[in-house]
Amino acid sequence: MDNQDNSRRSFLKKGFASTAFAMLATTGAEAFSLQIPGRDKKDPKHIGQVGKHFVMVLDLRKCIGCQACTSVCKVENEVPHDQYRTFVTETEMGEFPDVRKGFLPQLCNHCDDPACVPVCPTGATFKREDGIVVVDNEVCWGCGYCISACPYDKRYFNKRTKTADKCNFCAQRVDKGLMPACVETCIGGARVFGDVNDKNSEVYKLIHSFSTSVLKEAQGTHPQTFYISLDSRIEELFSTTQSLDDIVKAEEGFKSEWEKTRAEAHNHG
Amino acid sequence: MDNMQHFLTLISSITIEKPWGIDIPNYFWFTGSSAAAFIISSFAHVFGWKKYKPIAGVSLLMAFVLLVAAPLNLIDDLRQPGRILNFFLYGWEDFPTSPMKWGVLLLMAYPILIFFEAQALYRTYFVKKAQNSRGLARVFNMLFTFGNTDLSEAAMEKDHKKGYILGAIGIPLALAVHGYTGYILGAVHANVMWHTPLMPLIFLASAMVSGTGLLVILIPLFQRFLSERKKVDRDMVATLAKLLSWFIVADLVMRFLWLTFSLTFADGEKYALYQYFSLHFEDTLWIDYVLCLFVPLIIGFTKLRNIPSVVYFGGIVTAIGVWLFRWNTVIGGQEIPRTTPGFSHYTPPMYGQDSVMAVLSNWGILFALICAVLLIFPWDEEMQDCYEGVENAK
Repeated sequence: MDNQDNSRRSFLKKGFASTAFAMLATTGAEAFSLQIPGRDKKDPKHIGQVGKHFVMVLDLRKCIGCQACTSVCKVENEVPHDQYRTFVTETEMGEFPDVRKGFLPQLCNHCDDPACVPVCPTGATFKREDGIVVVDNEVCWGCGYCISACPYDKRYFNKRTKTADKCNFCAQRVDKGLMPACVETCIGGARVFGDVNDKNSEVYKLIHSFSTSVLKEAQGTHPQTFYISLDSRIEELFSTTQSLDDIVKAEEGFKSEWEKTRAEAHNHG
Repeated sequence: MDNMQHFLTLISSITIEKPWGIDIPNYFWFTGSSAAAFIISSFAHVFGWKKYKPIAGVSLLMAFVLLVAAPLNLIDDLRQPGRILNFFLYGWEDFPTSPMKWGVLLLMAYPILIFFEAQALYRTYFVKKAQNSRGLARVFNMLFTFGNTDLSEAAMEKDHKKGYILGAIGIPLALAVHGYTGYILGAVHANVMWHTPLMPLIFLASAMVSGTGLLVILIPLFQRFLSERKKVDRDMVATLAKLLSWFIVADLVMRFLWLTFSLTFADGEKYALYQYFSLHFEDTLWIDYVLCLFVPLIIGFTKLRNIPSVVYFGGIVTAIGVWLFRWNTVIGGQEIPRTTPGFSHYTPPMYGQDSVMAVLSNWGILFALICAVLLIFPWDEEMQDCYEGVENAK
């Protein structure tokens, strides 16, 4: 009996050892990575432009809410229907007759201390050396932790790639010396983009000659999109709780809402 | 806040994404109940409380099946489930800051530990079963003995010691395997409802409630319909009902601390939370607190605990109540606006990934697993021996 035990045990041991060895041998040494393969291989699109630090300045005095940025972004980045990397929130302020419109262009803030990056369990989202926060959609497994973590709601599941997606400052254009699509198309010149480390850049001059503010400073994420002439009342809008969906729900009723959700097949797919 | 709406009207904005759907509260409920079942089994195996000995084995098996079924919810929630290997291969740089990264390691270690503990507990029974069977059944039962057919006192003592050690390691592991889920939510500072260091403790306290509630229903069912005894141990039902009440006390204390601080003494976020709970005041109060917590609390602390049918009712409502609490936290937290005015809504789809049917299927898998372990493991003989042991001691 004892002999039998020993032989079975040694068989199992050998089995485990050889399986483990085979697994290691086939996956290869570079399979296990602290980061992701693209960063390990120093792929330029993952590393970015060393020495630069890209920021965006949004001059709200010049924004007219035309949504040209919203539409060109969708074209440039092939953003699926009903999804957006950037958009301009439009509000009415004041009471008749003393009213005016308020516009707030929103996009990924490319935070210096992003909330989304450290929680990513696959390392698919990370900050490039030039400050642009990107997502590798060939690595992302779509768990949604970064989407939950972003205080600005600027991430979403791309319906086409089925991975987390967001504004990347058009890194594919920036790396070729072009401006982000939204900046290039902005007719009022409200969106300004550039390297803040370069003292001759427009963003450097704007940031140093006007007072700027960022959204949700208390979140401690140090956003790198700076607003000029940001009305604090528009920011208040973020914490008002009048429910648009509630109004829709009351209008349409629960059943039709359920059917709508079913028709869309997936609420967030 | 209302004044603000007076002069600010939103014309256009984008409806925000709610990345975590119905799968996630269900997953939290499963891991939590598993942790609770494990702790209850450890009452006998580690702390040596004889009273809980007869149900320790079944509780351990329930902890096992709940935790085997739970991660399926997570895989279903992934948009790219085929890339599951990426989790293991990449991104270890984020290990210190991503609770999700810790979780998957815990989720793998914990069921393996339970399995080995159950093997130590039931080994001698498998040996006897193997000796009384032949052919494939004999081979199958022999597998669970790990080749050790020694039935001597010394060997049994060794099993006992192994069970004790694994149980002792398992307690922090069980707490961690559920505590980390609360940590996942608590770490999200963007979400005003989730962001509190109390979140892991709130989750653990309510987990103990749901797990005990589940055992209150399952154990009598097993005893009445599946065991040789064919009768319910009414003392045990009363004991569990009282235990449940103590766990409810712990849960209420945690929730009291959480809500009083976040609704009154927090900074700007308190307004959104206050609005949220005002909107859901009636249903939260009557369903979550009165029906699902206070009623079972009273049952366990009064003579009502001696009436099994009343206790079963209490068990069912607490289990459902904790599920609703998980839902309200995960989904409710995401409904609170961050960059758009107004609460948004989430209705789970009926079919497909992350849907009502997906969750029901997961429950189907749980019941299939329960049937499988009850068939494979000689839980009935072990439970019978424990009862005889108690009666002999008397």
